[in-house]
Amino acid sequence: MALFPLQANFRGDFVVLLVPVDDGDDMSIVADKVAQHAVGLRVAEKGAPKCVYYNGRELPSSMTVAQSGIQPMDWIEVAYV
Amino acid sequence: MPKLQRRDYYDTARDMNWAFSYVSEDEVFPEELSKSFGIHGEQWWGWDEPYKLTYREYVHNQAGKDDGIYSIRSTIARSNLYDNLDAGWKSAIKAHYGAIPVPEYFASIGEARMARFGRAAAWRNMATFGTLDECRHGQAQIYFPYCLLAKDPQFDWAHKAMHTNEWGVIAARSLFDDMFTANDAVSTAIQLTFTFETGFTNLQFLGMASDALHVGDIEFGALISSIQTDEARHSQQGEPTLKIMINNGRKAEAQKMVDQMFWRSWKLFALLTGISMDYYTPLESRTMSFKEFMQDWICRQFMDQFKDLGMNVPWYWEEHFLPELDWVHHAYHMGVWFWRPTVWWNPDAGVSPAERDWLEQKYPGWTDRFGKLWDVIGDNVRTGQIEKTYPATLPIVCNCCHIPICSPSIGKAPRITTHNGRKLNFCCEVCEWVWKSQPERYDTHLSIVDRFLAGHIQPPTLEGALQYMGITPDVAGNDAQAYVWNGASRLAAE
Repeated sequence: MALFPLQANFRGDFVVLLVPVDDGDDMSIVADKVAQHAVGLRVAEKGAPKCVYYNGRELPSSMTVAQSGIQPMDWIEVAYV
Repeated sequence: MPKLQRRDYYDTARDMNWAFSYVSEDEVFPEELSKSFGIHGEQWWGWDEPYKLTYREYVHNQAGKDDGIYSIRSTIARSNLYDNLDAGWKSAIKAHYGAIPVPEYFASIGEARMARFGRAAAWRNMATFGTLDECRHGQAQIYFPYCLLAKDPQFDWAHKAMHTNEWGVIAARSLFDDMFTANDAVSTAIQLTFTFETGFTNLQFLGMASDALHVGDIEFGALISSIQTDEARHSQQGEPTLKIMINNGRKAEAQKMVDQMFWRSWKLFALLTGISMDYYTPLESRTMSFKEFMQDWICRQFMDQFKDLGMNVPWYWEEHFLPELDWVHHAYHMGVWFWRPTVWWNPDAGVSPAERDWLEQKYPGWTDRFGKLWDVIGDNVRTGQIEKTYPATLPIVCNCCHIPICSPSIGKAPRITTHNGRKLNFCCEVCEWVWKSQPERYDTHLSIVDRFLAGHIQPPTLEGALQYMGITPDVAGNDAQAYVWNGASRLAAE
């Protein structure tokens, strides 16, 4: 378990953010950690499931950061499904 | 004895060029400080400034200008003019005073370098006046806000800002160091005087002066109009330098320097001037939108002059620059407002219903791209959830322009590359091109996010970041209008 900095956007927001996650976090937790910096702050809340996109593909919600191949400071996008 | 007319002695007095015999040209004009671009000796002696001026005339003119602005200052000091200015406008001038006056001194270093290492005597003569000009601009633009310090501690940042690591200051200092503090004489003439002063200072010093007079800020309007009269003169060092380069087969090198610095200047002025014109200037006082100023003064006037000299528009014009006119400063504005404790002025949201109508009219599509985000912010203000209008992390900044990486559209990724094992982030293809065109010049410079990740900022929190940036509670920015920027939000403010 180690701190893992990422660059992240929540889809529809205007800026790329520095979001610290943990390499043991799965994608549902990563999505929540990104959303807490954008959803309800600037992006309207939808109450729908969220997913993580990396290199143009959607990552399974149960996959951890360590399993995903994401490197520190890589860019991910989080969006409502 | 009758006095000679200027035309009878001017050329003799200024053209003190001679061929060196005791020292080599490289010793007199070291490449690092002067840079020849392979153009040597007498090839520079045809350098001819379009604006002729003697030292006697210079002193006479400048004394008159200073009499004018300082008498306006002392008259207005006895009035309550400043107190009655719009709160958003006050923020526009605080942003200006933090970003500009100390860099004017930096510019005097660049001018002094041209006054010594410029490759023609006429040029060195002009640059001597330029050096004095920039000192004058530094002095006046620090003195005026100093006089307002008793009214508002944020004016302290007119002097303090450039001595800090505040994020916007890092962006400004990076640009100004690149352009003139740490540039050689020939590149300074092309990049500072031709590219920046012929184009962008017009925008900040005449465009903002025009808005100032409509707002009723006679003092600021008079000050920056007076400064622009100097800029208009010493900016003319660029054109003769450019002509020498073109005539000696160095057009491609000159074009590249212009393209690099036009882009870097654009990014900073979108941040500084863009948000001041379209959000901080009261709606009823806006003479033109920022985009209209850019279209008229940069896209038309500056580019016409540029093309007349046989240059091409920058390679990124159609694909990158023109599209950014529609969105980039709106994104920067939202970022500055949301991260408002990190700036030394109070950002004016500028999104009242009437202002939103104006924004949508001037920038069709604004409501869909940015208005929706402001709706959420407005709801949080209305319901008293102010804590949701503050950030809890840093934005990623570009390793070239050092401004947060914003997106014009949904799903657009930043450009991430690696150089000698170092991961770099760029906001766009052009910033990446600028950086990669001179990696040896840029690769030791850390962005504020690099510094955060390297542990330079302690504690590694937003509070630690504010401390690192030199922001104290008495100057940390807050909403300029106390959140009263739409009818409903009045409730929250009350």
